[in-house]
Amino acid sequence: MKHLFLTTALALALAAPALAQVESDDPIKLTLHDWTGQLITTNLMAAVLEEAGYNVELVQADYLAQFAGLETGDLHVAMEMWETTGRDAMDASIATGNVVNLGETGMKAIEEWWYPSYMKEKCPGLPDWTALNDCAELFATAETAPKGRYLGGPVTWGGFDEERIAALDLNYEVIHAGTDAAMFAELEAAYQRQDPILLWIYAPHWAPQKFQGEWVAFPPYEPACYTDPAWGSNPDATHDCGKPTGPIWKVAWKGFGEKWPGAAAAVTAFTIDNDTMGAMIAKVDLDGESIEDVVDEWMDANEATWSAWIAQ
Amino acid sequence: MMLWRGIWALLAVAALVLAVLLPEGWMWPAKEMQLPMARWISAGMKWLTDSAAIGPVSFKDLTRGFAAVVEAPYEAARVLLVDGITEGKGRRAATIVPPLSWVAVTVAAVALGHYARDLMLGLLAGALMIYLAVFGQWESAMVTLASIVIAVPMGVAGGLALGIAGWRWKPVERVLMPLLDLMQTIPTFAYLVPVLVLFGFGPVAALLATVIYAMPPMVRVTLVALRAVPAEIMDFAAMAGCTPGQRMRKVMLPVALPDLMVGVNQVIMLSLNMVIIASMIGAGGLGADVLESLRRLNIGGGIEAGLAITALAVVLDRLGQALAERAGGRQALQGPWWRRHPRLVLVLAVALATGLLGLVLPAVQDWPKGWTVTTKGFWSGLMEWINVNYFDQLETFRVWMLEHLMLPVKRFFFALPWPFVLAVLALAGWRLGGWRLSALAAALCLFVAVTGLWEQAMMTLYLCGISVLVAMAIGVPLGIWAASSPSAGRGIGGVVDTLQTLPSFVYLIPVVMLFRVGDFSAMVAVVLFALVPAVKYTAHGLRSVPAELIEAGVVSGATRGQILRKIRLPMAVPMILLGLNQTILLALSMLVITALVGTRDLGQEVYIALTKADVGRGLVAGLSIAAIAILADRLIGAAAKGARERLEGAG
Amino acid sequence: MTPPVKLACRHVWKVYGPHPERLAAAGADLDAIRASGHVGAVRDVSLEVGEGEIFVIMGLSGSGKSTLVRCLSRLVEPTSGEILYDGEDLLKASPARMIEIRRHRMGMVFQNFALLPHLTVLENVAFPLEVQGLAREAREARAREVVALVGLQGRERHFPRQLSGGQQQRVGIARSLAVEPDLWFLDEPFSALDPLIRREMQDEFLRIQRQLKKTIVFITHDFDEAIRLADRIAIMKDGALVQVASPEDLVLAPADDYVRAFTAHVARAKVVTLGRIAAAGVPEGIAGTLPAAARVEDVAEQVVAANAPFAVERDGQAVGHVTPAAVIAVLVGRGG
Repeated sequence: MKHLFLTTALALALAAPALAQVESDDPIKLTLHDWTGQLITTNLMAAVLEEAGYNVELVQADYLAQFAGLETGDLHVAMEMWETTGRDAMDASIATGNVVNLGETGMKAIEEWWYPSYMKEKCPGLPDWTALNDCAELFATAETAPKGRYLGGPVTWGGFDEERIAALDLNYEVIHAGTDAAMFAELEAAYQRQDPILLWIYAPHWAPQKFQGEWVAFPPYEPACYTDPAWGSNPDATHDCGKPTGPIWKVAWKGFGEKWPGAAAAVTAFTIDNDTMGAMIAKVDLDGESIEDVVDEWMDANEATWSAWIAQ
Repeated sequence: MMLWRGIWALLAVAALVLAVLLPEGWMWPAKEMQLPMARWISAGMKWLTDSAAIGPVSFKDLTRGFAAVVEAPYEAARVLLVDGITEGKGRRAATIVPPLSWVAVTVAAVALGHYARDLMLGLLAGALMIYLAVFGQWESAMVTLASIVIAVPMGVAGGLALGIAGWRWKPVERVLMPLLDLMQTIPTFAYLVPVLVLFGFGPVAALLATVIYAMPPMVRVTLVALRAVPAEIMDFAAMAGCTPGQRMRKVMLPVALPDLMVGVNQVIMLSLNMVIIASMIGAGGLGADVLESLRRLNIGGGIEAGLAITALAVVLDRLGQALAERAGGRQALQGPWWRRHPRLVLVLAVALATGLLGLVLPAVQDWPKGWTVTTKGFWSGLMEWINVNYFDQLETFRVWMLEHLMLPVKRFFFALPWPFVLAVLALAGWRLGGWRLSALAAALCLFVAVTGLWEQAMMTLYLCGISVLVAMAIGVPLGIWAASSPSAGRGIGGVVDTLQTLPSFVYLIPVVMLFRVGDFSAMVAVVLFALVPAVKYTAHGLRSVPAELIEAGVVSGATRGQILRKIRLPMAVPMILLGLNQTILLALSMLVITALVGTRDLGQEVYIALTKADVGRGLVAGLSIAAIAILADRLIGAAAKGARERLEGAG
Repeated sequence: MTPPVKLACRHVWKVYGPHPERLAAAGADLDAIRASGHVGAVRDVSLEVGEGEIFVIMGLSGSGKSTLVRCLSRLVEPTSGEILYDGEDLLKASPARMIEIRRHRMGMVFQNFALLPHLTVLENVAFPLEVQGLAREAREARAREVVALVGLQGRERHFPRQLSGGQQQRVGIARSLAVEPDLWFLDEPFSALDPLIRREMQDEFLRIQRQLKKTIVFITHDFDEAIRLADRIAIMKDGALVQVASPEDLVLAPADDYVRAFTAHVARAKVVTLGRIAAAGVPEGIAGTLPAAARVEDVAEQVVAANAPFAVERDGQAVGHVTPAAVIAVLVGRGG
């Protein structure tokens, strides 16, 4: 908790002389959300900026609600805005002229239907999506039978699964979990019992690290699939394909670059890949290490990398 | 009487017939009659934040300024309990003066307990503080404590001020009462976004949301307490020649103090209830730990952090009550201040000593990591064992409940045409409380109809209705049992109190693991939470039946069963109805949280609005929940009043 | 010789309901008030209390006696009428003036004591002085005096809940006397006490009054208490005065059946004074001299034991004599 908030009064009284020359002493506010990967990304960025001599403050804010703060300048940087879930909100916010996109984080978001490996024995046709209908009864529960049960993400995540089911004529029903915690709770319970389960999983996340399983292979996404009914196997419907994968973006308040040009350059330069991130997430969520320790470890091991970001 | 029974029976039959014959959603409010209230509210909010101004000062500057004023004492509390004074920022920050050591805080808790009542209470408080340290919750608990020690005085002072104003000026009270109703029935999620927008992101916004949530009972208690000051004491104040200010300060507030402390207690408990939700907008502390544990499916971690919240609640509650009883109790000691305040001197000495000693012996400053204990393995093992061995039985039960109870009821609510619902509510209002209540019922029902959230509202009614039914079916017998013997009362009371302070998030995840995502899990979670008043009020109602009546039963040769059925239960009906009322209100307040396990009711609507930062949508859905809550409250309140009057009329 | 009037009220009305002024102005009778949905708590009451007099207002519950005393102290705003205290109409006094009058010239004792539970005995007694802004030393010194007057020395640092009912009311009495008021209201001060304590407190009250000579308005529902303490008694019924007279006149000449119902069971010896039964002239061989205002009950033992007549005198002048036979006649309920 030590590196979180500090009073302005104290900051003034005890201005740190050891810091390098930076553009402004005001704290740069980075937003924290509620999933581990984002916490690691943000803490990494914060550590790097502090090495460069900036004051940094980490603020808990909701993933989408934060745009209100980014637009007014209450908040400055959001480190993970997923193409798959945040694109609309991000575009709307950028359209106001008060928020800018600082480029990709280097991580690719994957979101798709997923099943545990043991289901492959019971439903040999997997991972191909055409096998899903043969196994619908396998995945069914009392409420959905004879249809199969697909556990979707929270309604707010969107994802067009109802449309996908209709377009691909899948004999399934979407049950929306209210939160990802509920979703993974069901997965954990089913996995313990080795019971059938089919659900929405995203990466980078600890779940694909902890549980053996695979993504269902739908016809690969293309933008035309979501807009043009003629595309794909169903000539009368859109969404007859898998979900898009896409970059995870960094966004910032428009004044960020003017006030702290060096910091803005460092944030823009920040990149990390899925595997590195996945390994760090697993250390935190599965091995119980603290985020601070994992970040420190990375900082020690990759000094050359992050020095290059702030050297710009 | 007979006539009305006939009419109600007829209406019930009509409703059933409608439900069987009509398809779901046959007559829901038409699109044309919906008002774009969400848009209006959002636009109003935008105006408030962007353009509203009082003279040269914009409204937003005003609210931000207020937030800055609140931030100062909060930061001070953090320095004392969590951060200490540090040099530099962030990761390189070096501690110059450490925060209070765990030893000092624990000694302070013991001293406060001893001051408030006796050594036993002090030891209890100290033991619970040690519990926090042993289970590795110390730092988070201190973060939570820092916000509680700021939020509670703010809630108390604000509630007191509003209560006094309401007592003094009738018009203020008239405005205040409906406002309090709304504040207590609108789910917190609904006003988190406006609070964020007005007060900025961070712990202060969370603090203010906590105050908004925790203050209403203090206002009500203040009003009641001031009114309860005996007329003679008021006469005396006048005869002694008090000015109005003297009367309030020197007479009324001190005389009302024991009653006011009930309000303080409520503020403490509600502030702790808010810990989790506040952590969603940046409060940190134990609430954040609970959420984080649950996200990692670390059930044990969630339970430990949740129980730590319970422990804090118990400490603050007991200390608060003891201080209230003590108020005006003892004679002050004589002499210089360090003689008069021996405990304060002790605490300061310990704080200083441990602070210095901590520099060489870190274990005195921070509880060493190696000394912490965890039960995480036990809890996840227990869950896995239940899951693997008993899931089939649980699943059978769940399916049976769904098919035989929940789905038919859901269909029933979905099939009802909205004018029919409106008519029945208005009629019930008229029967129970005259035309005023009837008009209120109709207006509230109409409000829900024009919001365009009828489907979600029916879903809410169905989920809430079933949950309340089940909670009463379990809670009333438990209450009867608790009232039957002191030992049963203590046992059940303990469980019920824990359920009340344990954040519901803690059992949400285990419930989902055993009962899957869906309405049934939501129902189980709501029942666990809303069970409390059903048990408490039933037990209280049964216990407070006058002894003479029971003796009269005994001398007439009634058996224990007869006394229960023919004397105690009928006499306890008004109290049980009050319990029902509270159960409904709690169930409604819980619905927002069940949105997290995927229900599609008004709670989900509020939750979606929260994640989309849609002020209007959230408030409209929140107001719809408030409308349902107020409706239920008034109708049942009127019924309870009727029952009481009949009892008193007969006796 | 009548003492000067200290407190007087003229045509005081207190009517509760939607249009109280209208009914008071019309002087409506009880039935009319009730029929219009009003409550006539005090109806057209006029009375005068002389300086140093103990004036008792007696009535059953609901008779309006409590409302009347609250009108006299203006704790309740009368609907109409005049309340004259030393000739000043209290109903015309400004709030600030009322505070001034109450702070220095009125005291009141309450049925349920109305002590402040968070203050000690001393602080309670000193409270009216604290409100006036008196310094701590001065007010506590004065409070100690009055605490001693009511016999509670040594208990100054107790809290009210640590005292018995009788002791608590002594605190109430001390508190009401702390500001040295001329006018002293006592609203059923002993009704909440046990009979034995009540008797003791009445004696205590008479002792204090002999010492201080206040002008007193004393409310009670207990007729025995009224005749024991009163110089004059006002009997109230349904908000109006039925009869105002000395205890003796009330018993011997009740104005109507309502008053008679109270007085019928009163032992006459308790009210009849020697002046009333004195025979003319002073015979030889008197055993002593007794005051005309003495009540038969109080001297009966002395007279009967002496078995000889006593001279009766008023203001130092002999007005006649009483014989043991006459005293015995009163005792058995015949004479007077």
